Amino acid sequence: MPDSKLDLLQGTLDLMVLQTLDAMGPLHGYGIARRIEQLSGNEVLLNQGTIYASLVRLQQRRWIAAEWGVSDNNRKAKFYSITQAGKRQMKKDKSQWERLAAVMGRVLAAAAEGGKG
Amino acid sequence: MSALKQVCARLISLFRREALDREFDEEAQSHLDLAVEDHVRRGIPEAEARRLARIQFGAVEASKDAHRDSRGLPWLEDCLYDLRFALRQLRRDRAFTLTAIVTLALALGLNVTVFAVMNTMLFRGYPLVQRNDRLVYIQEQYPSGTCCITYLDFEDWRAQAHSFEGMAFVGEKNISLSYGEGRSTDATAFTVSTNVFGLLGVKPALGRDFVPADEASGAEPVVILNHRFWASQFGGRPDVIGTSVLVNKAPAIVIGVMPEGFDFPTQFDVWMPYMRGPDVNRRAPEMFQAVGRLRDGVSLQEARAELETINHRLETAYPATNRGVVPKMGTYSQANIGPDAPVIYGSLWMAAWFVLLIACANLANLTVARTVGRWRDFSIRMALGAGWGRMIRQIFVESLTLASVAGVLGWWITKWGVRAWAVETASIYQILDYTLDSGTLAYLVAISLAAAILFSLAPMGKVLQIGVNSALKSDAPGVTPGLRGKHLAAVLVAGQMALAIVLLSGAGVLVRSLMNVVSANTGVGNPENVLVGLLSFPSEKYPSPAATLGYIDRFEAKLRAIPGIGDESVASILPVGNVLGLTFEIEGRPNAPDGGEAVQFLRVGPDYFRVVEAPASSGRDFNDGDRMATLPVAIVNQSFAAKYWPREQPLGKRLRYIDRNKPAEWLTVVGVVPNIMQGDPTRRQFKPLVYQPFRQAPTRLGVNFLLRTRVPPEQVAQAVRLDIQKLDPDVILKKFTTLKASFGFDPDRMDRAHSEMGKYAAVAPIFAVMAVLLAAVGLYAVIAHSVRQRTKEIGVRMAIGAAAEDIRRMVLRAGMLPVAIGIILGLAASFAVNRILQSQLVGVSPYDPVTMAGAPVVLILVALLACQIPARRAMSVDPAVALRHD
Repeated sequence: MPDSKLDLLQGTLDLMVLQTLDAMGPLHGYGIARRIEQLSGNEVLLNQGTIYASLVRLQQRRWIAAEWGVSDNNRKAKFYSITQAGKRQMKKDKSQWERLAAVMGRVLAAAAEGGKG
Repeated sequence: MSALKQVCARLISLFRREALDREFDEEAQSHLDLAVEDHVRRGIPEAEARRLARIQFGAVEASKDAHRDSRGLPWLEDCLYDLRFALRQLRRDRAFTLTAIVTLALALGLNVTVFAVMNTMLFRGYPLVQRNDRLVYIQEQYPSGTCCITYLDFEDWRAQAHSFEGMAFVGEKNISLSYGEGRSTDATAFTVSTNVFGLLGVKPALGRDFVPADEASGAEPVVILNHRFWASQFGGRPDVIGTSVLVNKAPAIVIGVMPEGFDFPTQFDVWMPYMRGPDVNRRAPEMFQAVGRLRDGVSLQEARAELETINHRLETAYPATNRGVVPKMGTYSQANIGPDAPVIYGSLWMAAWFVLLIACANLANLTVARTVGRWRDFSIRMALGAGWGRMIRQIFVESLTLASVAGVLGWWITKWGVRAWAVETASIYQILDYTLDSGTLAYLVAISLAAAILFSLAPMGKVLQIGVNSALKSDAPGVTPGLRGKHLAAVLVAGQMALAIVLLSGAGVLVRSLMNVVSANTGVGNPENVLVGLLSFPSEKYPSPAATLGYIDRFEAKLRAIPGIGDESVASILPVGNVLGLTFEIEGRPNAPDGGEAVQFLRVGPDYFRVVEAPASSGRDFNDGDRMATLPVAIVNQSFAAKYWPREQPLGKRLRYIDRNKPAEWLTVVGVVPNIMQGDPTRRQFKPLVYQPFRQAPTRLGVNFLLRTRVPPEQVAQAVRLDIQKLDPDVILKKFTTLKASFGFDPDRMDRAHSEMGKYAAVAPIFAVMAVLLAAVGLYAVIAHSVRQRTKEIGVRMAIGAAAEDIRRMVLRAGMLPVAIGIILGLAASFAVNRILQSQLVGVSPYDPVTMAGAPVVLILVALLACQIPARRAMSVDPAVALRHD
């Protein structure tokens, strides 16, 4: 486990949650947290509890919806699902991120080459 | 869009805090359960699985906090917390809270009331009229006084002046109005140019406005009704539009009704277009006033200069009529209240601020005392790591809470105060719009906030003095933190006393001035035993002077039969009243070319001088023989005789007045009477007067009567009223009172500037009394607090032999020293401040020694009283108990 988690840019965790819900369909908080942990290799979440601040924020923006339901093993849990507005937002944020990542990648690569030469 | 949704959601979450917290707890529990199950399934023993799930979840409380922060508004929640804390503190300290709120509410209410009244008086102008601030009201000043305007001069202004977007005129006229099945009433009408409502920007509520064709010669006569008159006479029926009424027996069509609450320029009944009569080619004053709307960018001064230039040209062109005729124009307040309006209302506003400052000083002292009382509390919080910012915010939230409650109460006080003022000063000649608008509300909010900031400064300064170390060290109970607190209290008390002195002395000279006017020598003997009233004759029934005189004969015969009534007479105007002067000439003494001087001509009945107890000093009184057919005679007063015939015998001399450039008949002087006050609103000076017999120059529509009673007037008043009712129910009795009472301030009877002065002098003492009371309460609170704080010290003093009297002296000295300093400062300030009252004072200097000596005496007595109660408490301290005092 690394010494420090990645410092997240504002909204990064939100985008991950949206992406997760979009890919997996309705999911409870524990499921979302596990999924992000698995995909990020434990680099993102300080602990699983932090996911709930993000979930309530997304819910207030009406990008996700929540409903109490029953899990596979008959346990009561709150299930989150992405809304149409959430899907639109996710697309926007995703392309933003991809552009930023591409630009960053180019700049850093160029800097590294410049440093070598 | 989603940002807005989020703010709404966050706001809502503030009110569902507990439910949301509970939901979070449930969700966290379900999360842990799912995690445990997951681990168990992967073969971890349950106890270990539980531990692992908890570690992975992290601190539940921290997540809950993060959850709250991201769903709510953290800073608002902090403020709400402070507010709840403040409310709890204020509830606990009821005496403080109540005193603070009442004090502040009174001061705020008074201040906003004055602001609202001043706003109305100086700036608001007529109700419903658009952009009042660009309207000017114009009259002309003639050699005999300022009164009206000449129609042809108005035409010249309108044609030549470029400063105005438009100009309209208003004339006045008494009419009789018949409608329906022979119903008829007397009404007052304004004869106006047809553009008047368009110029004001007010449209009729019903029917149509005037159009220019309505004033063309030969046009069908039309009228527009005042809403009040329409409601009372026509029952508010909308079908009155288009019906025909008789105006002075000539048919006219009702074309419109103006909106409710609209009066212009005074409370009259109908408006009708001015029809040019045969007289219109003479330049004689007949119109009431003109109203002009200034063109954008044109100042009042520029417009005035332009009209003056036009009048100069007219003077050259028409020397016979226009010599010395000057246009007088001004804004609403200048035209309707007088040139001193800004001084009067500005200084009342200043006085209201003084009262508010005194109240703020009280609150500052009280909150400092409270802060000191909570010293330990603050120190502990400080030691636990609370920052200064946090404590200052706490103090400010408390102050703001007090100011808000006081502000709400202040708004009610304002509503009540403005209403009371409107009712007390109501006059049909001042049409004012007193509605409280959003501007007034904004002002209230602003000064409440300003007051809260002002009186939190002192306790905030106090808190900044707390250092963690010193706080914990001086934690010993009963030890007060340094002397600076006491100095501040003394400075505030001195300041309050200084302000109170300024208000007391200002109110003092105003009241003395009012007393000078009300109690001035009018020349009338025993006016309290004279009943007076105004008889108003309907023009339908009394179309000629002869008809009116016939009524007066019957009236006199009837009244003289009432037991208890002595002499009786009639007059065109009562003593002290004012009529416009007329220019006149004395036989054999040609007038200067500017038309000569003006004096008032009064018409009085026989016995008038007996009724007012001023019998002729030489010559004779008027008698029943002075009638239309006999020699026209006159009586002059001593002031007239002294001015115009200083070394001659006035009896037998002849004089005549000049009305509209036409000399009247010669009048032979048959008597000289003592001076009676007439036409000087300040009642300082007996002006020259000429009296004519009422029967030789009767006034037709309104006649004043005077009855000297041999018994207290209230015993016969009812009989007089009944007789007038019996004699002719159509004759209306108005202003029925005693002559003495009629000398009081009456906004409808006084000239405008001086009726304002009367209101001013009547209101000023309210400010002074409030200032003194608030200052006394403040002083009491400071002294009482200091006695409480020094209980132990007083106990020690008594234990080592101080007598109760010594203690009392000590307390009084501590209290009265700042009072004395404040009084000295206040007196010095009074000399500067009272000078601005100069223009409002009659017969009293702004530095009146009686007032300047009296105000400090009043304040010292009140201050002594305020110190006496805590001093007594100090004397009754039991040393044994005090030394044990915690």
